[in-house]
Parts: sequence; structure tokens; C-alpha cells
Amino acid sequence: MQLEKFYYDNRVVKWFAYATIFWGAVGMLAGLLAAIQIYLPGANFNHPVTTFGRVRPVHTNAVVFAFVGNGIFMGVYYSLQRLCKARMFSNMLSKLHFWGWQTIIVVGAITLLAGYTTGKEYAELEWPVDVAITIVWVLFGINMFGTILKRRESHLYVAIWFYIATWVTVAMLHIVNSFEIPVSFMKSYSWYAGVQDALVQWWYGHNAVAFFLTTPYLGVMYYFLPKAANRPVYSYRLSIIHFWALIFIYIWAGPHHLLYTALPDWAQSLGVVFSVMLIAPSWGGMLNGLFTLRGAWDRVREDPVLKFMVVAITAYGMATFEGPMLSLKNVNAISHFTDWTIAHVHVGALGWNGFMTFAVLYWVIPKIFNTTLYSKKLAGTHFWIGTLGIVLYAVPMYWAGFSQAMMWKTFTPDGTLKFQFLETVTHIVPLYITRSLGGGLYLIGVFLMVYNLFKTVKSGSLVANEAAEAAPLSAKPEIHGKQYWHRWIEKRPMQLLVFSLVAVAIGGVLELIPTFLIKSNVPTIAAVKPYTPLELQGRDIYVAEGCYTCHSQMVRPFRDEVARYGEYSKAGEFVYDHPFQWGSKRTGPDLARIGGKYPDSWHYNHMMDPRLMSPGSIMPSYQWMLDKKLDTGSTPAKIRAMQTLGVPYPAGYDQRANADLMKQANAIKENLKKDKISTPADVQVIALIAYLQRVGTDIKADKKTTADAKP
Amino acid sequence: MKRRLSSIIERAVALTICFLALPFALLAEGPPKKSTLDNPMAVVLLVVIVALLIVIILMANVLIGTAQFYAKREKESRTALQNIAGKTTLVLLFCLGSIGSFAQEAAAAATAAAPKSRSVSGLSESTFIMLMSVIFLELIVILAIGFFLKRLLSREATPAVATEEALVTATPKERGLKKWWARANSFRSIKEEAEIDLGHDYDSIRELDNRLPPWWLYGFYCTIIFAVVYLWRFEISHSAPSSLQEYTASVAQAEEEKEVSLSKAASKVDENTVQMLDAAAIASGKTIFAGSCAPCHGADGGGVVGPNLTDDYWLHGGSLKDVFKTIKYGVQEKGMKAWKDDFSPVQIAQLASFIKSIHGTKVATPKEPQGEIFKETAAAAADSTQKSGQTNH
Repeated sequence: MQLEKFYYDNRVVKWFAYATIFWGAVGMLAGLLAAIQIYLPGANFNHPVTTFGRVRPVHTNAVVFAFVGNGIFMGVYYSLQRLCKARMFSNMLSKLHFWGWQTIIVVGAITLLAGYTTGKEYAELEWPVDVAITIVWVLFGINMFGTILKRRESHLYVAIWFYIATWVTVAMLHIVNSFEIPVSFMKSYSWYAGVQDALVQWWYGHNAVAFFLTTPYLGVMYYFLPKAANRPVYSYRLSIIHFWALIFIYIWAGPHHLLYTALPDWAQSLGVVFSVMLIAPSWGGMLNGLFTLRGAWDRVREDPVLKFMVVAITAYGMATFEGPMLSLKNVNAISHFTDWTIAHVHVGALGWNGFMTFAVLYWVIPKIFNTTLYSKKLAGTHFWIGTLGIVLYAVPMYWAGFSQAMMWKTFTPDGTLKFQFLETVTHIVPLYITRSLGGGLYLIGVFLMVYNLFKTVKSGSLVANEAAEAAPLSAKPEIHGKQYWHRWIEKRPMQLLVFSLVAVAIGGVLELIPTFLIKSNVPTIAAVKPYTPLELQGRDIYVAEGCYTCHSQMVRPFRDEVARYGEYSKAGEFVYDHPFQWGSKRTGPDLARIGGKYPDSWHYNHMMDPRLMSPGSIMPSYQWMLDKKLDTGSTPAKIRAMQTLGVPYPAGYDQRANADLMKQANAIKENLKKDKISTPADVQVIALIAYLQRVGTDIKADKKTTADAKP
Repeated sequence: MKRRLSSIIERAVALTICFLALPFALLAEGPPKKSTLDNPMAVVLLVVIVALLIVIILMANVLIGTAQFYAKREKESRTALQNIAGKTTLVLLFCLGSIGSFAQEAAAAATAAAPKSRSVSGLSESTFIMLMSVIFLELIVILAIGFFLKRLLSREATPAVATEEALVTATPKERGLKKWWARANSFRSIKEEAEIDLGHDYDSIRELDNRLPPWWLYGFYCTIIFAVVYLWRFEISHSAPSSLQEYTASVAQAEEEKEVSLSKAASKVDENTVQMLDAAAIASGKTIFAGSCAPCHGADGGGVVGPNLTDDYWLHGGSLKDVFKTIKYGVQEKGMKAWKDDFSPVQIAQLASFIKSIHGTKVATPKEPQGEIFKETAAAAADSTQKSGQTNH
């Protein structure tokens, strides 16, 4: 057979590597700022752009989609070419993919900071960006499949199975979760409401962890670990079983983010059991990784790449064991809404994703620059600083989460709550400070890496096109050794794609469809009415400022929560909530029953400076809301969009809505005047007060007799 | 052929152990009493039980495997070894069996136990003892297996059977551990690697055909069994409580405990029986006021968002009883929160007393009068002035 000569494209790998490093530093800086803001309200700088509610989504989106995202592409573009013995399908597509993705990141960061958000966690980007993501993802898919189809290797290696499953599942998740109705350029409402929106969102959110942070990185591990250790993969059988089991089971586990909420019980139970069944498939990846190192452990002590990988895989194992434990209802009752969850995700993010990325960078950069790493010692220092950073981050957060949950649940013998919410917050502030130190250390490690890699790059020169040789694919490949039935699908990328899609679609379909179609899953409550125009505008402000990043709107049926917040939340209460705002973290108290709890003037003063009304509060000030004009021009379009989504406003109400809005705003203004507060009626804070006073009041037994104009 | 056979036997034994453990896994789901599952102590103990059980399964698997390994090697002493293997299995079966029957008895006892029996960390004594006994028995089983394992391993001192090169340099103790680890994972020696190389070559990455680690595989089976039992109990037989049932039960239990506590005379006070309290109590009231009331009513009670509490005008009545009632139940529509879940009746009485005590004091920026003028009835006034008088000097 004549050997064919071809060239691997290393330039695109270099671009993605640089982007990974750059966005990693940016995303982690945003995280550090957010961590400091939690104990130092002054660090919000009294400006909307720099306030926690906007910084936090920037942090999460940057580290997930920019840092890890570029990390995935770096790993895929390097390994796929070599595993297929072919150059990437199209240089043009590679370029478009790279610049498209970076543009999305920049636009995403700017729009999030400007307050354009859909209010759905990890899917905050507004609809035009969602469309752009879909297009770029499809470009990536074409480029990947083009390469696979023109490969010179008969069978696909396990890393490629993971890449294919990642691609198809992320496409499915992104498209289904991003169903939204545009109201204007950069403003949309989620197509789903309340319970359904929550289920779709966490089906997406959980599987973003699964198919963006886990499966592509397992693929990366399957290539770079055996390469770096120069050892054969431990068990091919284990690869097969854990791959299929992992992608099939993972997709079902989303509802474990909604335990004890208004989500139907059957869906919660499915979430629990599939999470528990996930332990073994997840650990399959860990075992195959660690056992591959058998016979190479002596080198782990010296090689920083292997060191990072071992800790990454161990962190993966810990996080994937902890996850199922957190999915057990009695554990979740303690951990959910607290910093325990924050600790859990950061073990995964800093340990698994971060350290695996660093390992790949330390390995790939010298390779494509045809040189050796500038300083192994410095990389070792990075390793130790990073590890210490993770420990200093995680331990205080576990401690904070557990102790705060215990304080929330403590009653006096007389049956009253022992601690006010604020007391439970001030109690854990020292732990928040320690956490930010841990995060800071981790970031310092990243800067050491930047320096080390910079010097490495300087000492070598990029091999933009790396020559390679391989025989073209013959019709009948040679067969060595024992043949497994699974070899059949390894030769057929399209079938692999379809089978993966089927495996991941089953769980989604069986959970989502019944929740949408069976009426008994969301029992209607007659008293629940649509929001007034002013409340709707206020709700949009609540979403835009990212209030959901610190406040939940979901009272779980626990004795302490009912005592602290009020009647537990019912599924029927959220039918007009596009998007739902249940939240996932209670840095501040739950707001599901905030309506009518305090006078309007309390809210006014509280938004001006939270510490006036609750001394010691860590909430940022929202002074600008007191002066910023409310954009009433958008009201008709918003009402029409809601009507399209099935919210029963009377026909033609869009034209009358602003009159009702002003009436209600003036009533609040008058009400504030009685408490010696003079304010114009058409400012944002009035709309926000209107919304907050409405939340959770519909089903209250004592009907309010206010003059609210409810359509 | 022999290897195949032994692996089949091994699997069969491990599966049998799994099934023997099944009634136990069902029990691990929780004793029949609903509320016991909520108890953190019970959960911790159950987790320990399950973990130990997994250890037992693993160790038994290793033990049987090792026994068979030697059985093949030492043909001359075949009969003797079979004896040991037989004994081990017997001991195992005996222990597991006895755990099962004992657990069932104890569970029955727990159900029968009177609700007022003594408790350990909120767990009924009998349940606690039952769970602890299960753990104790499991530990005995582990020790027994460990003992036999050690005896088996110490039979052969030569490193000929080492599965890892590293074993050669290891101390005997380390070697035992490593061997155990190798057995638990079904490791093949690295020297034999060529035999199980699949011949795959992806950019010079090779793949081996190692067996699935047995503990991993059986662990996977266990989680599937768990899933079936869980779904059965929560969604089909409904023998496990739904979220709302848990809630109702916890509230009912809390009410009972509250009754008990409130039946003590000291904490028994409500809007009908509240009396003006002494200076010390008023001081406590002042502390609560500064923390929770001052933001709305002003540090000196002069009113901010909420009304002035020092003037003669009251929105919801100015008598001590009225003030107590307003604090306790709140006035939803005006934004006054109900504090009955935050403060005990005694604390509310302290607060109410403090508020009555600041009547007429001079405040920095008094809010304009709201509500109706209130005059104390002669008796109450006398009572109130007399008590508040004590605080003024």
C-alpha cells in the first residue's frame, strides 16, 4: 500500500490554546471579584455593570463556555487529526469556528454585563447569541465529521466516541432549552413557564455539566493520558460499557436539581435513582484513567503533566461520587441552596476541568512548538499552589454550606426559629473570605503557567503544518487479535452519531413530554392571575439584575422554610412565569412569599442601601434604580409576546397596558409619599417594588383589597 | 479452561452474596417506621452498614478467588484447602444468615416499640441497638474474612505468584495489600500485557483487554437494584413518604414537642395573659428591638417606615395585649410581619414590655401621628407606669 503524505494543522490548536489561557484568566478574575463581593458589598462599586448579579453570570459563562469550551476545541483539534490520521476537513471552517466562538464570547460578556439575560442559569445569553452559538456549533460539527469521514484509520478510538456524543447532545440541549420568543432585539421570554421551564432548564443545566464539562474532557483524557504516560489504555471493555452507560444514564438525572420543589414527585424520583446509577459509569472513566497509569506511577512523581492528570481524575472521581450522594433526598434537603453545592461544583471545575486543561497545555504547547517545557519546576510549583487553592476553596465552602443549613433548620424548644436569616449569613462570612483566598491562590498558579508557557513558546517555533504519513483507508482493513461486536459501530461514525442521539434522547423525552402533556402534573390554581404590566416590567428588572443568582423563589415543604418564609410553593403558582425564577442558591433569603411582607417604603430604602433596613446585610446597593427611567415603550410588545405564549390578557390589552401601568405606579408613589419618600412614578424601583409586592401573594388566604388594576 | 471455570465460580459466588444481601438492601432502605428515615443518625448508620456490606462482598470475592488460586497451585494439599474454603463459605453464610434473621426480628421489635421509648439522637433505642448490632456483626464478618485471607496469603512466602514487579521489593505487609488490591481489581500482571493487547493502534495508543474490575461491576448492579427498590417504594407501593407526607409528619411532631415545652409554666404566655415585665426583661426586649425592629421603627422607636411607637397614637391598639398581638400575628397588609415563628412568646412579651416602656420618651425625628389616640385604662395605666417607672431611673 502506498503511503500518503499529509500535514496536521497545528496553528488552529495554538489559537485555541491561547484562547483557553486568556479566557481562563478572565473568567477566574471575574470569579474572584464575585467571591470578594459576597463579603465586601463595596466591591460592587455602586454601578450596575459591576454588581454581583451581572458579574456572576459572566464568571460562570466565561469559565464554562470560554475557558473549558476553548479547552475542548484545543483538545479535539489536536487529537482528532492524529486519531483520524488526517488534517482537519477545512482550514476555512477551522478559522470560522475559532473566530466565531471568540466573537460569541466577547458579545456574550458585553451583553451580560449590560443586563441582557434570559435569566436561565448557564443559558443566560439572549436569543441572537443563541442563534450564533447554534451556527458556530454546526460549523464545528461539519468540520469534525468531515475530518472523520476522510480519515485514514478504519476504526474510531474511544476519544472520538465521546466527541461525537458531546457534539450531538450539546446541540440537542441548546436548541431545546433556548426555545424563546423574541420581544425585541436582545430581549426574549422563555417558551416554557414555571414547572416546565424549570424541568427543561435543569435537564439542560445538569447535562451541560455532563456533556460540556465531562464527556469531551473524558475524550481528551483518553487521548492525552495514554500519550503522556506512554502506556496502553487499561481496558477496552470498560471504555465501551462506561461510554454507553454514561451517556444513557446522565441525561435522566436533571431533576435532582429540583428535589422537594413543586416538580412532580415521579420526576424527582427518576432524578434520584438515575443519579445513583451514575456512580459506576462515571467511575469507569476514572478507573480506566488511573489504571492506565499502572507501570508508570514512578513517572507521576516527576512529570507535571501526569501529576495534574492524576489530581484531575481523582477530583472527577470525588465529584461524581458526591453528586449522586447529593441527589439523595435527605442529603439534598441539607445541601441544596447552600454553599455545599458551590464547593461540589468547584471540586469538579477547578480539579477536573482546570487541572486537565493545564495538563494538556503543558503537554501540547511544547509539542507544537517543537521544544521542551521551559521549567518543570515551575510547573510543579503551579501544581502545588493549584492543589492548595482547591483545598482552601472547597473546605470552607463545605463547612459554610453545612453549618448554614443546620442554622436554618434549628428551632428553639418553644418551636420558633433560632436564627434570623441574616445571622446565618454573617456567621459564615469568615469562610467566604477564606474561599476567596483559595480562589486567589489558584489564579496565581494560572499566572505562573502563563509565564512558563510564554517562555516555552519563546524557546521554540511553531510547527504550523506537521508532516505525517499513513496508508489510505482500504476497503478491507486488516484484523488483528480478537474482534468484539462493538468494532462494528466503530467503523461507522454516522451510526455512532444516531445511536448516541437515541441514547440521550430517551431520558429527555420520557421526562419532558409527560410533564408538558399531563395536566395533573401542574394542578391549576384559580386565584393565580397574570402579572400587571408594571409587575411584568418589574419582573424583567429582577431578571436583568440577576436577582436569581442569590435569591430563590421556591419554598420547599420543610417545617423551617414554611416558618421562615410562608406557605410552601405550589406548581400552579408559576404558570405565568416566563422564565421561572426558582434559583439555585440562597445567598439571600427566599423571596417566593416576599409580597406584602414589608411596606413599599421598606423596599425603597432597602434597594437604596440594604444596610439601612437590615444592618450587616451583604446585598449590593441598587441606588441607580431610584433614578433610572422605566422603559414603558416596550410594554405593548411584551404583553403581545405573553399573549402568544398563552398568558390570558384580554384582546387588545397591549394598547391599554401602559395606562394601567402608570395608574399602579402612581399608587405606589403616593404610598411612598406617606412615608416621607418623594420619588417620580416612572422609575425602575417602582416597577421592582410592584413585582416584589406581588410575588407569592395570589394564593394567600387573606385577599388583599388594594386597588391594583388586574386585567 | 480452568481460568474460565474459576472465573465463573467466582462470579456465581459473588452474585450469591449480592442476593443474600438483598433483604438487607431492602432493609437499608429504612426500617418500616416512616419517620426513622428522616433521622440523620439513622441515615449515617445505614450508610455505614451499606459501606461495610460492600467491603464484605469485596473481601469475600477476593478470599474465594485466592482460595481457588491456591487450590490449583497446591495440588498435594488440595483436600485440606477445600476444607478451609468450605469453612469460610460456611462462616460467611452463617453470618449473613444470622444478620438477616436478627435484623428482621429487631425491625419487628422496633415497630412494636412504644412511641415514648427512650431515644438515642432522636432514634428509638431499639432501632439504634439493632443498627449498631448489624454494624458489629458486619465488623466480625470482615475480621473473619481478613483472618482467613491472611492465613491463605501467608502460606506462600515466595514472590513467585506476585502480580506486580513492584511486589518483589515490597515488605510482606505491603505485598499482602497489593495482592489484595490486584485481586479486587482482577489485575493481570504487566508482564502478561502482550497476551491481552488487542492490537489496536491509534496514533500509537494501544488498548488492553483487561476485565472489568469486579467490585466496580457488582457496585453497578447494586445501584441498579437500589434504583428498582427505590422506585418501587416511592412511586408504586408508596411505602416511602412523599415530600408532602414528610412535611405533615414533621410539623405534627414539632407541634407535639412544642406543646410539651410550652406546657412549662414559664413559657406559657399569650395575648390574653401577657403582663408587663420587669427591668431585666425589658432590657432583653430592647436588644431584640435593636436587632429586628429598629430598621423600620427607628432605633429610638420614633418611626421610619413603620409608625412611631412613642407617641399616643396607635394603629392597632396601644394596650400591652394589643401590642403583643400585633407583634405576634403581624399586620400583613401594612407590611408588619408576623413574628411568632421567629420569637418565643416570652420574647414577644419582653418586646411588648419594652415598647410600652418607651412611651412618651423624647425621640430625634418623630414620625407624624398615625391611627387613633389611645388612653390607658386606670388599672392598666397604673400597672404600666409603675413598671416602666423602674426602668427610667
